[in-house]
Amino acid sequence: MSSNEQAPVCQPLDAPSSRAAPQDRLELAIRVSNLSKCYQIYNSPRDRLKQFVVPNLRRAVSALTGSSPGARHPVPAYYREFWALNDVSFEVRKGETLGIIGRNGSGKSTLLQLICGTLHPTGGSVETRGRVAALLELGSGFNPEFTGRENVYMNASVLGLRKEQIDERFDDIASFSDIGQFIDQPVKTYSSGMYVRLAFAVIAHVDADILVVDEALAVGDAVFMQKCMRFIRSFQQNGTLIFVSHDIASVQNLCKSGIWLNHGRVAQAGTAKSVCEAYLQHTQQEIYGEEAKLTSLAPAAVGNEARADESASDTGGSPTIDYGAVATVSDNIETSRGWKSGRADIVSVALARLSPGPEGSFEGGERVRMTVRAKAHEPLQKPILGFLVRDRLGQDLFGENTLPFTSRVSTPIEAGSTFEGIFEFRLPALPNGQYAVMASVANGDLFEHVQHHWMHDALIINVSSSRIRFGLVGIAFERVELRKIG
Amino acid sequence: MNPHAAPPVSLSSLVRSLWGNRQLIVQMTKREVLGRYQGSAMGLAWSFFNPVFMLLVYTFVFSEIFKFRWSEDGGDASRAQFALVLFVGMIVLSLFSEVINRAPSLVVANVNYVKKVVFPIELLPVVAMGTSLFHSLISLGVLLAAFGLFSGYLNWTAVFIPLVLLPLVILTLGLAWILASLGVFLRDVGHTVAIVTTVLLFLSPVFYPLAAVPERFRPVIMANPLTFIIEQGREVLIWGHLPNYLGLGIYTLLATAVAWVGYAWFQKTRQGFADVI
Repeated sequence: MSSNEQAPVCQPLDAPSSRAAPQDRLELAIRVSNLSKCYQIYNSPRDRLKQFVVPNLRRAVSALTGSSPGARHPVPAYYREFWALNDVSFEVRKGETLGIIGRNGSGKSTLLQLICGTLHPTGGSVETRGRVAALLELGSGFNPEFTGRENVYMNASVLGLRKEQIDERFDDIASFSDIGQFIDQPVKTYSSGMYVRLAFAVIAHVDADILVVDEALAVGDAVFMQKCMRFIRSFQQNGTLIFVSHDIASVQNLCKSGIWLNHGRVAQAGTAKSVCEAYLQHTQQEIYGEEAKLTSLAPAAVGNEARADESASDTGGSPTIDYGAVATVSDNIETSRGWKSGRADIVSVALARLSPGPEGSFEGGERVRMTVRAKAHEPLQKPILGFLVRDRLGQDLFGENTLPFTSRVSTPIEAGSTFEGIFEFRLPALPNGQYAVMASVANGDLFEHVQHHWMHDALIINVSSSRIRFGLVGIAFERVELRKIG
Repeated sequence: MNPHAAPPVSLSSLVRSLWGNRQLIVQMTKREVLGRYQGSAMGLAWSFFNPVFMLLVYTFVFSEIFKFRWSEDGGDASRAQFALVLFVGMIVLSLFSEVINRAPSLVVANVNYVKKVVFPIELLPVVAMGTSLFHSLISLGVLLAAFGLFSGYLNWTAVFIPLVLLPLVILTLGLAWILASLGVFLRDVGHTVAIVTTVLLFLSPVFYPLAAVPERFRPVIMANPLTFIIEQGREVLIWGHLPNYLGLGIYTLLATAVAWVGYAWFQKTRQGFADVI
């Protein structure tokens, strides 16, 4: 995986840069410029025919009479326009991974189809370098009447493999897909999981330069997902990947940069993390509707308020404090990004040690207390305070909210008062890196609630131990040994 | 192949596509031939029995019931001759109409190839033609066997039959490309084509010799592109005459022009397919 300090790959094409250098051009894998796709929606097939004939007739008539077309009589249109994609531009360099997020109907699939070349743009252009293999929805160009084996041959040869090459790889493909005897049955008899497994197995074995994967993968079971992820991660070493999802976690997990599509336009492009955060805020707003108006928080705005109330820390927004110990925590509340509705504010988030040991430094395994303090500006019937620890890719590691308590003990808060949530737990050991503690205050219950203040990174935890750890979260092992047993 | 470039329309691009995808064409044709009788107990044998039964019925009806003779001088013409002469016409006609009837639905029936993958869909009519050719080949085999059985000999000129059929194959492909494209945008094309091919069965000299057509109607029948091929097929298969090289040459040139126009039309319009189906 790459670090997120690197520049985002998605830059507007008009950005002044030295991109015109030929060496740099060669490194581009995908270049999408001002791409637009318009669908003509006809009420009946007859209208389509009219549209086909009438404007051409008009043109012919006006060419004969010498007047310019549409000068006196506007050329009638028998369709409505639907812009599925509107003026989308971005570039992906070779070896990069780009995540595309957006709600249903935002143009994700259209964009993918345009990149793959199965659709043709109304305006703008797409350039791709190298072999593009795609796993789009269900189907992937399989003929349902043909057997799995025949479809593998057809699909692979369409993707540019010669018969001998397919012969060579067929066993690998079959074992990757793991569908056993069914390989010689028509694919119409396959379950959706088998379908996707076979389709993915094929595109995994065609030496694609650019891989396009969308939601389809989610159909596979856990074992197959593992296999796919292993493949995708090794593919990322050299290949260009476009990953489409509305699952923010997997986009952040896999992609370095991201694009958020909204109603056919690029709502935001940048690092996967920043794009996902913006998308999350947007979707929350859509869910709440008019109930709460979320405003984005520029770091300065939060800082002022936090200072005005009560600041939990004097470390301020300094990015890294290295005590030379294992893990350090810095208060980031002043520079935290997020959004709020204005009905309640988080005023402080603090992590304190309960086990004996040096104050302000952690190593994992000790007992700690997380305190989230908030102030209500309006009465809250069912307040919820919560926190979530995320790694630098935005993957959720652990967290909790006060629902287990408030569902037992109703605790309404009147306007103007301050309240706090207390979470005591044993801190897991974390691998090297930077972590963010998300904190939020909400009102409601598990199923229906409104977030009133959401801070993406109220606390920053920096872990700089030299010990190598595996996995996302380390645990306190009590015993590790190796014995000979006979 | 760059999927984002406009599809090429030149004849050389067509030849390149055909050659480059030859394995795919063979494989898909094989699949289609085998697939037609898939699930039936007799399997591929049906493509053999079909023409055999057809020929038996023709022989019975036209030779035993109608007692038709092909030429007026009768003479040594065997009773089975009428059926054989008719069968040649049927083979040529069905080579043509099998492809043409299917053409309007070819693209529509393969939505996956249009929307899900970058597939060389210009091959779909070619595969339909391959399938049709295979069935014609079986029928030709049955015809030659029957001819040998009834006459006791075979015309060596039968080796020219590929030369006779080639121009028709080219012409049919060209028409198939146009119809396949039109069929996407106008679903009515399929119905129209079904009527036209039925009419062609009677407007081609299949059931009658060209000579039997009254003088004033003859140009109409001659204008039918199938007429020349059917007549030439009979020359080499039944009468043992050499084919009309000049006629076939001119026909091939014209057919190639039609094929090019059809291919170019298909390539020009294919970008819109995904929007419509």
